[in-house]
Amino acid sequence: MSEVVILPLLVALATAIVTLGIRFAPRLQRAVSVGGALAYAVAVGLLATRVLPDAVFSSETVADAGTILTYQLSGWQAPYGITLVADSLSVFMLAIAAIVAVAAAVFSTKYVDEIGQSVSYHPLFHFMLVGISGSFLTGDIFNLFVWFEVMLMPSYILVVFNGGEKHTDAALKYTALNLMGSAVMLLAIGGLYSTTGTLNMADLSMRLSNAGAEGAAISDPTPVLGLAALLLAVFALKAGIVPFQFWVPSAYKAAPAPATAMLAGVTKKVGVYAIIRLYFVVFAAGTLPQDLAIPGLSGTSFLAFFGPVLFVLATASVLVGGVGAVSRPDLDGLFAYSSIGQVGFIVLPLGIAATVTDPAIVALGVVAALVYSLNHALAKTLLFLLSGSIEQSIGSVRFDDLGGLTRAQPLAAASFFVGGLALVGIPPLTGFFGKLLVFDTAGRAMAAGASSAWLGLAVALVGAILTIAYVSRAWSLGFWGDPSELIANMRLSPQLLGVVVALAVVIVALGVGFDPVLESARAGAQAATDPAAYREAVLEVEA
Amino acid sequence: MTQFVLAAVLGTLFALGTFLVLRRDLVRVVWGLTIMSQAANVYLVTMGGLSGGVPFISGHGGHGAETTDPLVQALVLTAIVIGFGTTAFALGLSYRVYQTNGTIDLREVRG
Repeated sequence: MSEVVILPLLVALATAIVTLGIRFAPRLQRAVSVGGALAYAVAVGLLATRVLPDAVFSSETVADAGTILTYQLSGWQAPYGITLVADSLSVFMLAIAAIVAVAAAVFSTKYVDEIGQSVSYHPLFHFMLVGISGSFLTGDIFNLFVWFEVMLMPSYILVVFNGGEKHTDAALKYTALNLMGSAVMLLAIGGLYSTTGTLNMADLSMRLSNAGAEGAAISDPTPVLGLAALLLAVFALKAGIVPFQFWVPSAYKAAPAPATAMLAGVTKKVGVYAIIRLYFVVFAAGTLPQDLAIPGLSGTSFLAFFGPVLFVLATASVLVGGVGAVSRPDLDGLFAYSSIGQVGFIVLPLGIAATVTDPAIVALGVVAALVYSLNHALAKTLLFLLSGSIEQSIGSVRFDDLGGLTRAQPLAAASFFVGGLALVGIPPLTGFFGKLLVFDTAGRAMAAGASSAWLGLAVALVGAILTIAYVSRAWSLGFWGDPSELIANMRLSPQLLGVVVALAVVIVALGVGFDPVLESARAGAQAATDPAAYREAVLEVEA
Repeated sequence: MTQFVLAAVLGTLFALGTFLVLRRDLVRVVWGLTIMSQAANVYLVTMGGLSGGVPFISGHGGHGAETTDPLVQALVLTAIVIGFGTTAFALGLSYRVYQTNGTIDLREVRG
């Protein structure tokens, strides 16, 4: 039992409630909101020092997953009660959330109009953070559903926040799809409970690994595979992976820029995290009684089934996102489509990792996904906030109205340059290491005899070329050329620009001092590929 | 017998929900979503076993031959509360769509 596990949750919840209570004092409310986001970052930092292995802080290289801390709610031991679990994987994701939340909270105080802020913006923002933190920490699949709902409810309202025609239309799509997703998730969870008799992730993993044995809770694990596949559709919807990406472009364009940064930077990662947690830690323990009788799939492990599925979803995302982004007429639409493609890049190494058996390559695939998630969160937050501050200044982010920003706003242009290059993957930015690890995973899987991994390499290459194409298109249309009168006279708020520049500095700094990031990601991957340690820590039994 | 009746009811509810979601009228779409989430709740209750026996707690989530698992009912209560909130929001959003677009015909609502 360690209370530090629930600290981030409590901080976010307290901030949400306090900001709701002091609506009559807008300046105090803003201060509490920003202070709450900073306190959240401190809480996550505290948790990280307890969980992450010492190697992260002392720059030694030892394969170590760190400590797994658990918090049994109301003292009910797992698997009877709800357990919250903080391991290196959760902490890595929480750290991403903390960085984006601080940037978005500071940005919001100047960006969102005063009335909106005082009525509901800050409580919604922090309630969303509560849901996100809960999703990262929970060790119970029904509880995961509840945290998803806690996270989605404020996000619906944030999408429709500006209340115009476009916003209601976007929120309608977003809400309807997610309500369907929730119903499907309930179906999958109900089925899993009825076939396995447990909701606790560690217990589920334990029962799957014992399935078929004498006296085991599960006699035939085959139905679990189908239910897990149903669940994958829900997570893919949350992560905005093709073919569940329809809500992404309109919702990202409709939400206020800092809320979009949270949606793209963090809420999407909740889907990615759920995929890593459930498929690599929980369902990976399952094996089928006989070979899969589906053409193109072989092997008896559950991962052997999900590998190709994830791979196809990732490939489609990379292509749809990339091609969509190349043809967008405006900056935020381009970033929204690019977001679909980038999530494809995050899922691609997971798909490759799931098809190979060598544990080192599986871990490498998860490292690639984690590092890429961090890079995408930072770069997309920067870019969406930049496009938000431009829109606030001149009322448009269409390429027709832009052009010449390098001369008119050199600092903003430089920040875009850093964010864009991070997406493309130029050293020494974080994006370079993300792309490198993705290619490395595909290459090593190929060397280890996974004959179809060359396809992964090809997809990553095409995706990288598409990324270069849309980033350079945005650069040449929006930033080069002679500034129009509108651009020449534009004034960016120094505070908004300050947040964007700070993010650019963070991207460069994390890229230059990449060692601790890589070590944390390694620890996260180690935690994600060692179900036995997870079970042991949660159930407090010898695995 | 109960099993067949419930399976048929669930199938009908999901079919009805899907049919309504595909309509042009926004309010019907919201009804469809509500019916589907309620159907998921009914389904969840059936996952606890249909014997109707009085539950007793001996083994966690066990499949006692004559007892009904009470945990799923607790899950459904949670899901009903969440469903209540989301339905209220969806109806509120529908009204806002009507306010901004002047129509709830989804063919004409294109922002």
